Amino acid sequence: MVVGAGIGGIQASLDLANSGFKVYLVEEEPTIGGRMAQLDKTFPTNDCSMCIISPKLVECGGHPNIENLTYSDLIDLKGEPGNFKASIRRRARSVDESLCTGCGECINQCLVGNRVYLDVKVVEPVLPEDERMAVNEILDKHKKSRSPLIPVLQDINSHFNYLPPPVLKYVAYKLNVSLAHILRVATFYAFFSLEPRGKHIISVCMGTACHVRGGERILEKLEDELGIKYGQTTEDKNFSLDMVRCIGCCALSPVIRVDERVYSRVRYNTVMDVVSKYG
Amino acid sequence: MSLLTKKDLDEIKEKGLKSSYPERTKIAVGMSTCGRASGAEEVLQAIEKEARSLGLDIISTSTGCMGLCQREPLVDVIKPGWPRIVYQQMDVKKSKEIVAALAENKIIPKYALCKIEEEPHLFENTTHAYKLNGLPEGMGNVPSYKDVPFFGKQKKRVLQGCGTLNPDKVEDYIAFGGYTALFKALKELDPKMVIDEVTTSGLRGRGGAGFPTGRKWSFCREAKGEPKYVICNADEGDPGAYMDRSILEGNPHQVIEGMIIGAYAIGARHGVVYARAEYPLAIEKLTLALEQARGLGLLGNDILHSGFDFDVSIERGSGAFVCGEETALIASIEGTTGEPRQRPPFPAQKGLWEKPTNINNVKTWANIPLIIARGADWFKEIGTEKSKGTMIFSMVGKVKMNGLVEVPMGMTLRELVFDVGGGVPDKRAFKAVQTGGPSGGCIPDSLMDLPVDYDKLAEVGSIMGSGGMVVMDETACMVNVAKYFLAFTKDESCGKCTPCREGTKRMLDILTDITEGRGREGDIELLEDMGRIIIDSALCALGGTAPNPALTTIRYFREEYEEHIRNRRCPAGVCKGLFEFFIDPETCIGCGRCLRDCPSNAITGEKKKAHTLDVAKCIQCGICRETCPSNAVRVK
Repeated sequence: MVVGAGIGGIQASLDLANSGFKVYLVEEEPTIGGRMAQLDKTFPTNDCSMCIISPKLVECGGHPNIENLTYSDLIDLKGEPGNFKASIRRRARSVDESLCTGCGECINQCLVGNRVYLDVKVVEPVLPEDERMAVNEILDKHKKSRSPLIPVLQDINSHFNYLPPPVLKYVAYKLNVSLAHILRVATFYAFFSLEPRGKHIISVCMGTACHVRGGERILEKLEDELGIKYGQTTEDKNFSLDMVRCIGCCALSPVIRVDERVYSRVRYNTVMDVVSKYG
Repeated sequence: MSLLTKKDLDEIKEKGLKSSYPERTKIAVGMSTCGRASGAEEVLQAIEKEARSLGLDIISTSTGCMGLCQREPLVDVIKPGWPRIVYQQMDVKKSKEIVAALAENKIIPKYALCKIEEEPHLFENTTHAYKLNGLPEGMGNVPSYKDVPFFGKQKKRVLQGCGTLNPDKVEDYIAFGGYTALFKALKELDPKMVIDEVTTSGLRGRGGAGFPTGRKWSFCREAKGEPKYVICNADEGDPGAYMDRSILEGNPHQVIEGMIIGAYAIGARHGVVYARAEYPLAIEKLTLALEQARGLGLLGNDILHSGFDFDVSIERGSGAFVCGEETALIASIEGTTGEPRQRPPFPAQKGLWEKPTNINNVKTWANIPLIIARGADWFKEIGTEKSKGTMIFSMVGKVKMNGLVEVPMGMTLRELVFDVGGGVPDKRAFKAVQTGGPSGGCIPDSLMDLPVDYDKLAEVGSIMGSGGMVVMDETACMVNVAKYFLAFTKDESCGKCTPCREGTKRMLDILTDITEGRGREGDIELLEDMGRIIIDSALCALGGTAPNPALTTIRYFREEYEEHIRNRRCPAGVCKGLFEFFIDPETCIGCGRCLRDCPSNAITGEKKKAHTLDVAKCIQCGICRETCPSNAVRVK
């Protein structure tokens, strides 16, 4: 069984099928092809991607050893290598696939805009009272905004010092967006952390001016002295060490920032004097 | 109160002039982020405390950054009868001394950076000359503002207000002639005339790409769809550039005024400032300024009875460099991941919430009130054929005078670095200047006579960018610099398109191999080849310019790459394991600084005698070379 009918899944299925194995190709989208079918060119040779993928699509579609299970989800997988038992749920197409020619006429005719209506019960996630109050206050503050998600996450991040997963679930419920989308946003931006961070956050500037004037050495020194790498937090939860891409104090480089305070012209030998002020 | 007529504005102006040039002594401390980082808050407190204890009647206030960030904290003393005196590198002790001296009507010339006898008020083409009488002793020893090369060679337009006026007071800005351009635009000009004026001025986008601003505006004006939006791009992610921060912290009203005029011309009713989360102070000052503008009826409904409605909101960024790209920025405001999309459609057709949107940089917006107030012809007076006006650079790195400089377009790089910036410190040799941040390139000494404008920089493989300018001396390894920038773009690539996501990673791998002594023949050609392909195929400008640092360093410093690959040697002494330090006994003055600072105790020697460096113990951190005052630490 191959899960995912992108170019990788298609090629794997064809290789297996051509070696004589029966292949089940599972794909959640209604069609096989994946992302590559949407691209114009491929890196690094600028080859035409359709020219690569379309013969494979045709071969995969008609291969006697391949059974395409599109619009399907893998819901359970048990067993060990060589002996797996997979449960696959095929979503309802309400179409007889053996008769369908793929003309697309039904999509145009559909009165409800081809939407699937499912009766899913959504339960409000439970948060401790104080956290719930705090989050509600933040949500309230941004309720007029047309796109409240990022400002809400920013405020939660500064209130809790990170983004606690239960809070994110609550936010997803309240803002009526999927948790997956929130996590995508939260992991995209450097500002957010999904791990608890220390009481004080040390950010070492890695801008160009600081780089030229030895910012990296400062980071190394802090890593040595605190016994952590950047992105980590000390065991006593007092310090987190971060890199920041330029605070805009380039004329005073190298600089570090501890919480909101910026320290200019820090030196390898004296940087710990600055940091130790914060216990 | 709401401003309705020119008379209302003049009343506030009177107030502002009184607070800017009071009849009592005023002390203003530069309180931008750079000032605060150098201890300006403590200095201000010390000044207030000392004045109280001496019973001295002063007005203590704050101002923005006047550009020479290296000498912060800067303290201005404005005493009736004296010119404005700028003291540099103040600390608690020194600031108490100047207050004590002030109590006796004296100055301390040795702490002074310069004196300012007159200040131009650009909007109305007037000059405020300080009335002089009863000058204290030693004033003659303080150089005039225009005689300090760092300032004298500059042509301050956009930055004129920064470091002079108090960003917390709208009346200060109005005293300088602020908001007169808005009156002129709304009362005397129709939107088309505003666009024509901007088009004629030849202003090009100061964010880096240099697209003609007037044309951009007219595209947006003509586009179908309502409502329209204007956005101010203050997501200054470029490492090494910080003028947008300085403008927003030092003179936020000028940006707001520019945005109102732009919105009027384009027909937009909503404005958004997208500011970096790393600039909390800029956001604070801007928020305050917006409230003041709303209070005066300069934002809101029916501005100046013209029937034009407009308001501005602030969106904070969340630490993604790619959000400086306009389509990514729009995606981020819409609350999703900041990934760029294919253009066209351009934001002028389909931008924020799919509506016509005009995005300009902070500096572009700040230029607008000047153009409207003084006219396109005045603006065009300086600059080159295709790039008009001034450009702001943040000149940092290995240069004597670090700071923000505003110079006419067309000034040569040599003038910029050596005349304005004072050249390279510590008796070291100049090597290259990097412009345009991770999208730009390194320009060698041989091209330093290049006049700086958009097109000339592009010709040599670099870009103007947002004005970041990092000066490098002989201790910078060009392969390492390229590696640094590729590491940056690799980290900041959003990952949407393959050329950028995979290409920057592979280029970085090759550069890392070269700097760690694993370079192979053919690597340089491979880098060039990959670089060209990434430029051709990446989706947005981040990827499309990411190879520039590597390509320009190869173009101008190929022998340095070859030295790394063929001889496993880093001639600049940066890449660890590829060189050895030694102390030149001829030049060593035996001061002992390196001995004191060396973290691995590799240096031995007696005071006032040449020191020696034990290569076996040396960890090649380069601290000794950094601290050496006589450039005696050399690379074998």
